[in-house]
Amino acid sequence: MIPRKLRRLQGRQFGTLIGLILLSVVLTILTPYFLTVSNLVNVVQQSAIIAIVAAGITFVIISGGIDLSVGSILALGGLVMADALQAGVAVPVAIVVGLLVGLAAGCVNGLLVTFGRLPPFIATLGTMSAVRGLALMYKDGSPISGFSDSFRALATGGVMGVPAPVITMLIVFVIAHFILTRTKVGRYAYAIGGNEEGALLSGINVRFHKIVVYGISGMLSALSAVLLTARLNSAQPIAATGYELDAIAAAVIGGTSLLGGEGTLFGTLIGALIMGVLRNGLNLLNVSSYVQQVAIGAVIIIAVFVDMALKRKR
Amino acid sequence: MQHALSLALVVLALCQAGCGRGNEGEKKGPTIGFALTTLNNPFFIDMKKGAEATAQRLGVNLIIQASERDIDVEKQMQIVENLIQRKVDALCVTPNGAREIVPAIVKATQAGIPVFVVDMKVDEKTLREAGGSIVSFAGSDNFEGGRLAGEFVASKLGGKGLAAILEGVPGHETGESRSKGFRAAVKDKPGIGLVSSQSGGFDRAQGYNVMQNVMQAHPDLQAVFACNDLMALGAIEAIAASGRTGSIVVVGFDAIDEAKEAIRSGTMDATVAQYPAEMGRVAVESAVIVLKGGEVPAFVPVKIELITKANVDSVVAQQ
Repeated sequence: MIPRKLRRLQGRQFGTLIGLILLSVVLTILTPYFLTVSNLVNVVQQSAIIAIVAAGITFVIISGGIDLSVGSILALGGLVMADALQAGVAVPVAIVVGLLVGLAAGCVNGLLVTFGRLPPFIATLGTMSAVRGLALMYKDGSPISGFSDSFRALATGGVMGVPAPVITMLIVFVIAHFILTRTKVGRYAYAIGGNEEGALLSGINVRFHKIVVYGISGMLSALSAVLLTARLNSAQPIAATGYELDAIAAAVIGGTSLLGGEGTLFGTLIGALIMGVLRNGLNLLNVSSYVQQVAIGAVIIIAVFVDMALKRKR
Repeated sequence: MQHALSLALVVLALCQAGCGRGNEGEKKGPTIGFALTTLNNPFFIDMKKGAEATAQRLGVNLIIQASERDIDVEKQMQIVENLIQRKVDALCVTPNGAREIVPAIVKATQAGIPVFVVDMKVDEKTLREAGGSIVSFAGSDNFEGGRLAGEFVASKLGGKGLAAILEGVPGHETGESRSKGFRAAVKDKPGIGLVSSQSGGFDRAQGYNVMQNVMQAHPDLQAVFACNDLMALGAIEAIAASGRTGSIVVVGFDAIDEAKEAIRSGTMDATVAQYPAEMGRVAVESAVIVLKGGEVPAFVPVKIELITKANVDSVVAQQ
């Protein structure tokens, strides 16, 4: 059963990838500014932050949940990390502090969903607001700006022309893919999302593994905060407002089912890139920002529509 | 495969719909990119119109791109990066954050693109330290505007009464300058008490709700200064809902059409007029002058004035 499922998933990832390639071909024809090395590097870099948030949310969605609090957790994690950096804490330590804030906030989500028995949508809707409030309280609404070059290198640096955020993103996806496909954490997430009762009856510690996926989501949101803060040289309490929707869209375009039990990180990565390429292309083509919102909405709807149509055919 | 095809088709269709307008005016002149804060606010729509009319007149290809939310500094950075990739000759920008825009300006500087800042000042220290530079800033003095509003409220209340401020987005430079200006004006008026200063997020619905709450807490409130007209318009509705229209002085900021209409009908007392279309014009003109080898001043002030029932019609005629 599992091999067949995997094969089907791979087929769908392939479809999304072709979508991305076709989109790129269309943009290459329409504008000479799209297919240049510097622009492609630019697009991947721009997609990195949402892609990492989306990687975390993919775990949650696969387990049958949803996480609306990612943007707020990103803001809070970023502020605490920024505060630590300005207090003179070493860069790696400050990052770990930020990640722990994200992990903790994610675990709170997990606890609310498992022991609190709240629907994930409600639990994370609550923490989305509460954590945003904490972020605003943290420095009384003010941003924290101005960091050392060694920290900023996480956004501005790179290795052999590959920007640091892209490298970070790739490392995150490789590790996350390994966890999702090769470890209990990932396998159980699929099992819980596919059939929670079945998972429970077969002896999986459902509560524990749900808390783990929310923890992963929170931690990856905080990791995105590192890139965002380094990129803007500022951590803002209002940062990343609305990112939860972009991240969910990336996962869904990439073939992750909101019903749970299905999805891949490769698909999510392509989903994030499709949104990034679309925004970039529409900027280059000077398409009105009103039309851009219609375009992004249309792509989300079409991607899922075609996905479900193909599923019914099988 | 079907999936992919439909995706590509939609993009094609939308591009044709979207670019039709853009390409029609394709000229031989320079290309100027304009990264605008948002197009969900009439203030920036007016600025866009001013910039477009000027571009038309001067034979400039103007690319205007706006982020969906006015607080989204990262989207704005993406837009600037994309405009750099588009190889624009000059860049105009209304920053979404006084400090957060700096890395984007540095990128433009490194790409050799002259940058013209409009409406919101860039934090100079951050810019200098980061090694970026701008050619010129065109905008109004928001602090002065807030001060004008404060003086108006004080005189309208006869120097005695309770006032509240509806602030903008926390940490947003423009809104903070306005509320600081207002505070500075009422500070030396011992009879004026500032009982509340809460954020309405520059948003109409939030302005309504916050105003409602403030009136609950301070039933004897006599004046409110909203750091933009959208919040003031929301506040007017909240005041009307509590049946107190006319008993609370309402002052907004920006002088958008709806606010001027409200002043004419008497539900609002004053607003501070900025001239966004003028800012758009100045930005594009400055860019063209510099691209032709000329020079522009580092600060081009765009006038700011208080609009009340007395002068609302003459101001509209001027515009």
